[in-house]
Amino acid sequence: MDTRPRMLALAAPLTALALLVAACGGSGFQEADGGEEAAEDGATDVAEGDGADAGVDLQLMGFSSSPAEDEQLSAIIETYNEQSSNTATFNPVPEYDTTLQAALAGGEPPDVFYVDSNRLPDLVEAGTLMPAEGQLDDETDFYPSLVEAFTYDDQFWCPPKDFSTLALQYNVPLLEEAGISPPTDWDELAVAAEALTTDDRAGLVLGTEYPRWGAFMFQNGGAVTDEGFTEMTASSEPNTAAFAYLEDLYANGYAATAADLDAGWPGEAFGQEKAAMTIEGNWMVGAMRNDFPDLDWATAELPVGPEGPATFAFTVCYAVPSNAANPEASWDLVNYLVSPEQQLEYTKNFPVMPSRESIADDWLEANPDLEPYLNGATYARPFQFGPGFQAALDVLNDGIQGIAAGNREVDEVLEDTDEAGQPILGG
Amino acid sequence: MNALRTKLTNTESVSGWTFMAPALAGLLVFTLAPILMALWVSFRDWNGLVPPGQSSFIGFDNYRALLFEPGVNRTDFAISLRNNAYYVLGVVPLQTAIAFALAVIVNQRFLRGKSFFRTAYYFPSITSSIAVSLIFLFLFQRNGAVNAFLGAFLPLDNINWLENANGVIHNVLAGVGVERPAVLADNSIMGLSLWQWISGPSVTLLAIMLLATWTTTGTLMLIFLAGLQNIPVEVEEASRVDGASPLQHFFRVTLPMMKPTLFFVLTIGIIGTWQVFDQIFAISAGGPQKTTLTPAYLVYREGFRNFGMGRAAAVSFILFVIIVVFTLVQRRIVSPDEQ
Repeated sequence: MDTRPRMLALAAPLTALALLVAACGGSGFQEADGGEEAAEDGATDVAEGDGADAGVDLQLMGFSSSPAEDEQLSAIIETYNEQSSNTATFNPVPEYDTTLQAALAGGEPPDVFYVDSNRLPDLVEAGTLMPAEGQLDDETDFYPSLVEAFTYDDQFWCPPKDFSTLALQYNVPLLEEAGISPPTDWDELAVAAEALTTDDRAGLVLGTEYPRWGAFMFQNGGAVTDEGFTEMTASSEPNTAAFAYLEDLYANGYAATAADLDAGWPGEAFGQEKAAMTIEGNWMVGAMRNDFPDLDWATAELPVGPEGPATFAFTVCYAVPSNAANPEASWDLVNYLVSPEQQLEYTKNFPVMPSRESIADDWLEANPDLEPYLNGATYARPFQFGPGFQAALDVLNDGIQGIAAGNREVDEVLEDTDEAGQPILGG
Repeated sequence: MNALRTKLTNTESVSGWTFMAPALAGLLVFTLAPILMALWVSFRDWNGLVPPGQSSFIGFDNYRALLFEPGVNRTDFAISLRNNAYYVLGVVPLQTAIAFALAVIVNQRFLRGKSFFRTAYYFPSITSSIAVSLIFLFLFQRNGAVNAFLGAFLPLDNINWLENANGVIHNVLAGVGVERPAVLADNSIMGLSLWQWISGPSVTLLAIMLLATWTTTGTLMLIFLAGLQNIPVEVEEASRVDGASPLQHFFRVTLPMMKPTLFFVLTIGIIGTWQVFDQIFAISAGGPQKTTLTPAYLVYREGFRNFGMGRAAAVSFILFVIIVVFTLVQRRIVSPDEQ
């Protein structure tokens, strides 16, 4: 009984302490302002120290798709460190998006980091990036489709690191057996998929997501939104027809999902010869080399649709944060990494393609089999929407899964997508 | 005398608080402060890309978008609630019943290899949930062990477990000839038609429910076992002397004496199932067609993929309320304090 009031008396200072801790947390969060000041200071330091002479530590944060890629990039960074007074380090992190988000929210992001074209609008809208305007050598050399992927709000934000496109991969012996050549248009694709389908094999294994099905929209003259990103156009005739075309392939069993074929992703099903064709990107080269080295396969450009050729370009850029501690040094590193010599050095041994047109021929010489991917660059479209669009994209992706599984209607899915997207576009 | 006592209690409480200080500080910094901060974030339009101080206060807008405003956010939240409700209704009774049964079995005094069984049942609980999920991915493949097993007894085609969005109740209804009655299809709650609400867990979610049951049963069995061993032998003997049959003994003596344990197991079961995340992260990422989306996964998705950290925080606080309500209702029903 006696201790009751005392407990209460103690509760008061404790609550105060809790509030204090919370308040401290709050102010800790708000350190960004201080960070910006530091950034300005840092910038003047560099200026005073006459550019690169001052020498600063630079962090490059990214993700890694293979140990070989890490090694290659680290080697290039080593050469950078030799010729510069700055010291750069490459820091590949797992769960990249989450880590980057935490770093940005903490107010002290790394000096240079990767940004996927798909996530660029959100990052720009949040004011986290510094525009690349006037910071780059030979800006005009980059592929226009890639520059477009990193242009938002009429500003070019960051130079593309490299890129991949979608193409059609096919199993050479299976096509020969069936006596057909790689399909070049939609009709041929449908015929080939049918001819290659057997009881234990699908003609085509195709992922059920927008970055695959969207290529068919483009090939039919459609798109999910208009050019200016002001109007939803998912439920327009070209899209309906493109999806109906794919729906038929799945309904007849000529096309299948990876899960239908007991595989984790389409490349696996293709490698196990459970499907004769698939539509994937440059990464297929590395994956097949590692997991299915004996498979005899080849690549062709995506079949041309009724309204012409189209494919997706997937690309990542080197971005500098708006509150960079040493912006000049950061851009110096970026320029070095995207310089023609270094880019060629980096991409030559990998299936990814350099983002500069001027070194395309040299790259092709080293990778002659990969021409179909490179040809896609001229008609590729970026995988990109506007800020906050992911929610509408989720609706579309779910619908695509449903269409492939045969439990959703094409019209309904596209209308749902429009309905979900319109409020995001602000209509 | 009184003064001395006051003084003694004073020194006692000072040293008491001193000893507690390290633990208390940890609790404040790592538990209370983040909770308060999350609460604060749930009232702001923070996108998670800038320091939260730069976001602006938007009142209850995040909560409104989840609960009242028609749109993707509300529909997704409704879907996640539906999925998780079926998950809880399926997993909690199942895992509790199995765990209790296993505990009673391994508590038999004359069972041979008792410690082997206790270890075997407990093993899934100490295995990483991600590792277990990956193994289940293989088991539930079309040509996997589960289908092979079912195929041996039932005339079934190989079931597509892992990418099957069809609701179980929908499947049963379709089996008896009910297809989307207009009453259910045309009326909706939170943007989700009644027909969609009664879908039942999708086949994929069902597979995850089985996995979850399998992994947690061991822990719960251990708790039940501890409870069973706390029942004094005298009580058992007394009931036997009074001529109780084994069944009567179980229902009239064991079960009532296990009420506090049962309450505890149900409570942690409900809390755990409303927070299911890792299995979903590893197996289905919310798909197919959002049928394995749960509030906990929605928090992750909204916060880290869709740049809506404020909304994500709001989801987690609604989830908190749901868990509290469920626990209170459950307490009403089980009433652990009465004997």
